Amino acid sequence: MTAATPRRPSEGQVRDWLTAFRFARRELRGGLGGFRIFLACLALGVAAIAGVGSLTSGIVAGLSADGRALLGGDLELRLTHREATPAERDWLAARGVVSEVAQMRAMARPVGGLPTLVELKAVDGLYPLYGAPVTTPAAPLSNLLAVHDGRHGAVIDDTLMIRLKLNIGDRINVGDGPFTVTGVLDKEPDRATESFSLGPRVMLSLDGLRTTGLLAPGSLVYYNYRLALAPGVATATVQKAANDTFPDAGWRIRDWRNGNPGLQQFIDRIGLFLVLIGLTALLVGGVGVGNAVKAYLDGKTATIATLKCVGAEGGFIFRVYLIQVMLLAACGIVLGLIAGAGLPPLILGLAGDVLPIAVKLGLYWKPLALAALYGVLIALAFALWPLARARDVAAAGLFRDLVAPTRAWPRTGYVLATALVFAVLAAIAVLTTDERRFAIYFVLGAIAAFVVLQGAALALMRLAAKAGRPKIAALRFGLANLHRPGAPTASVVLSLGLGLTLLVTVALIQGNLDRQIAERLPTAAPSFFFIDIQNDQAAPFEQAVKAEAPGAEIKRVERLRGRITSVGRSHADAAEVSKEQRWVLRGDRGLTYAETLPERSTLVAGEWWPRDYAGVPLISLEAEAAKGMNVGVGDTLTVNVLGREIEGRIANLRRVDWGTFALNFVIVFSPNALAGAPASHIATVKVPAAQEDAVFRAVTEKFANISAIRVKEALDQVNDLLGNIGLGIRAAAGVTLFAGVLVLAGAIIAGGRRRTRDAVLLKVLGATRADVLRIYLAEYALLGLVTAIIAGLLGWLAAWGILTQVMRAPFLALPMVAAATAGLGVVATVLIGLAGTWRTLSQRPAPILRQN
Amino acid sequence: MSELMVELANVQLTLVSGAGAVNILRGANLTIGKGEAVGIVGPSGSGKSTLLAIMGGLEKASSGTVLVAGQDLNGLDEDGLARFRRRHVGIVFQAFHLIPTMTALENVAVPLELAGRADAFEVAARELETVGLGPRAAHYPAELSGGEQQRVALARAVAGGPDLVLADEPTGNLDGKTGRAVLDLLLGQSRKRGATLILITHDMEVARACDRIVRIEDGLVVDDGRHAAAAQ
Repeated sequence: MTAATPRRPSEGQVRDWLTAFRFARRELRGGLGGFRIFLACLALGVAAIAGVGSLTSGIVAGLSADGRALLGGDLELRLTHREATPAERDWLAARGVVSEVAQMRAMARPVGGLPTLVELKAVDGLYPLYGAPVTTPAAPLSNLLAVHDGRHGAVIDDTLMIRLKLNIGDRINVGDGPFTVTGVLDKEPDRATESFSLGPRVMLSLDGLRTTGLLAPGSLVYYNYRLALAPGVATATVQKAANDTFPDAGWRIRDWRNGNPGLQQFIDRIGLFLVLIGLTALLVGGVGVGNAVKAYLDGKTATIATLKCVGAEGGFIFRVYLIQVMLLAACGIVLGLIAGAGLPPLILGLAGDVLPIAVKLGLYWKPLALAALYGVLIALAFALWPLARARDVAAAGLFRDLVAPTRAWPRTGYVLATALVFAVLAAIAVLTTDERRFAIYFVLGAIAAFVVLQGAALALMRLAAKAGRPKIAALRFGLANLHRPGAPTASVVLSLGLGLTLLVTVALIQGNLDRQIAERLPTAAPSFFFIDIQNDQAAPFEQAVKAEAPGAEIKRVERLRGRITSVGRSHADAAEVSKEQRWVLRGDRGLTYAETLPERSTLVAGEWWPRDYAGVPLISLEAEAAKGMNVGVGDTLTVNVLGREIEGRIANLRRVDWGTFALNFVIVFSPNALAGAPASHIATVKVPAAQEDAVFRAVTEKFANISAIRVKEALDQVNDLLGNIGLGIRAAAGVTLFAGVLVLAGAIIAGGRRRTRDAVLLKVLGATRADVLRIYLAEYALLGLVTAIIAGLLGWLAAWGILTQVMRAPFLALPMVAAATAGLGVVATVLIGLAGTWRTLSQRPAPILRQN
Repeated sequence: MSELMVELANVQLTLVSGAGAVNILRGANLTIGKGEAVGIVGPSGSGKSTLLAIMGGLEKASSGTVLVAGQDLNGLDEDGLARFRRRHVGIVFQAFHLIPTMTALENVAVPLELAGRADAFEVAARELETVGLGPRAAHYPAELSGGEQQRVALARAVAGGPDLVLADEPTGNLDGKTGRAVLDLLLGQSRKRGATLILITHDMEVARACDRIVRIEDGLVVDDGRHAAAAQ
């Protein structure tokens, strides 16, 4: 008796893989015809991720490469309200070359025209220490800003030239100072690291600024001292020494490596958002990958059974086809990487002007490697299932006409392996970003969407099976097509549904933000912000407004600047603060004092102080900031206000509705704490639109130092910014929908032969081409409609969650936005479906019948 | 009777489908000696191919004893059966079932490669020469005639030196002359190598070329012996 040989020892495993590789190579001689959708699905998703990653890396590299020019020095020390003292200046000068720049917002007025808000920048003769400004006419900046014919020169943005109808040589007034426009500022090397701008740039000399009368006590002026350090001197050493030598200076120090942490974080967040959208495209494409692998293996069942008949084990079959799938996946991934790496130059070519930074183009291996890894894992995750089923194809099938897998589910090991790959995928999505919470939400959302869409597909198939027999024949056949064995219903609902869900989510979020800005805010927000109102101007300012608009709603508060120096007993630098709230401790912040709870605030802990309170200084702290700093009622904060350390006890926490442009501050002191401190005032004024110009003119003509910000103009700027971001995000979401369409197309192509046979049989039985067309129309319309409804609901839910829970913004249902986007899905399904089956209508029966 | 290659005792096979259970074999008993050439005949649907599948370990009996080459096939799992076939069984199909993406030589080499033989291609080339297809070694199945494809399939079946060759209607898709040539090769190669040949056919001329004819009807072996009886 001859026993079957035991499993070959492990040294044979390498040989097994080599044999499997040889077999796989032979199998691939059959061509890649059935794998076009497979390759497209993988390439598309990988390209999206690689492209976004490469662009983000290019931006970050650009920031880093031009770091010194963007910051204007190796190190920048920023003071608010005050210039550096002589001792501080001497200390800085001993460490390298120092350049001084002052920045503030002000009104610029052409002769005989209306003033406009500008971003003033006053520079010394050394500016810039790194990089070079570009002006028209091309001339040294110091020449352009110098005094000519008794007036200082000013170079200004092109947009201001156009808006104020100025020419070179014309006069403009800034504050009380007359200036001559001597040039147009075409490029400013350190512009990108500065915060959101509310107006065009006007650049003056520091001497020129001193003639404007704008440098009153309490005016919001930033003094920046940029240092070009001597070679070999480390920025960190100087930074530490500056803080040690002048612990109470209150300066905010940045070095060239991280000139604008806010911008960096913004880029990271947008990058993450787009990568997650790309990952969704890849997930959707994964469904197409799975379908393509299944269709390929269905065509190989006879070969698999033959191999088994001649002695191939199931594991060997699995290896042969796994190798094939992964080789093909590698091709798709490489195609995607090439396309992805080529995406940044393309985007820059199309929309380079939108980006404020010079992007450093190049091959960035990290995002490319991550995209490739995602591609491999997605291919594995979706291919394992059909591959595992293929290994169970019954060899005995060759003796009957039925060759099919014997199990509905693969063996447990393969199911676990599939789950493991998905888990690794989720872990990578979460672990490769700093925004873990957001990534976790994404993973949970994706799982929920998968489960719901898969469940919906099964429910649709069940319902279609139980729908009875509608009287309309086309509907009857269409319903039958939805539930019969091999119907593509499940994969189409899943893939198209995921793409549509994402698109509905993005459309709803953007629709909500647009409505906020276009409708809700203008009715709730004030018409103007007026800043830098001096103490003695407060009453005349209000009178000036009331004279033009007696019904004007004026809200005015004292505004000081202060810096938190200690949280409880910990020094602010050592305090444990969440990343989201770290900005509260970063440098000077605006603060105020109030007798009563500010508007648009809700007390969530503690109690408001009584009128005429005269005890220890009390603080009302914004609730989110308190949570981030891990403090609560009864804890203390020490705030340095104009050089004076004030320790205050937190009396209460407020939740603030920041979305309405009402005046509000993170820190509000009890009035007794800041009595007598020199403060400027900030005011909001709400007037009917017809009176806005009159109020603007009255205030800006009477008070040259008060800056007026038109809320509508600021909102337009925000709108433009959101529009650009939204365009990018919609484009990325569109890629996901396109992946869904690819899957749909793939499913239709895979079922093409069966559909042709069906169409022919129907024609043989007397159906006209119009009849067949109506059947397909009913099938695809039902499929699209159900997918759109589910995706619409899921997208609506996701948008609600993101807006209300993550962005803490109000949510408007916008049913038309959801319906229109979902409707797009129905149209896409019907059009793609009909396009894919159009050829079957013109098939002549005889050749097909002969083949069968 | 010489030493046994196949022993089937009370073999039953019931397949369950959506439409209900179907009893394909209902207690088949059969013994076949080593080196015998046995033709199995019977009407369509009688269970001939299923019986062959059970002897090749391609199908598992619902009950009964299946001993092939001394091995109880009921005791092996699917991979165990695959390894068993690799060592002991060669199969020839009516529809040839060559792998379309492999050349004739590669098709013949498949079982040898699976067995880890380093000389797989040398042996395969010799086998192709034996069946007269040496010059067509580099051709793909689509480039070969039906008769040539079946000769490649035959070379593949015997290349690994099996103890048992199973042939399911090997001449069913071939014209009379080509079929006769393939049958002669099949019988000749099996006898030359001392392998047991079990051949299913509808054609009594083909069956008569074997040492013994077994008749199956309705899932049972109804005649197991002489040509005359089975032919009636």
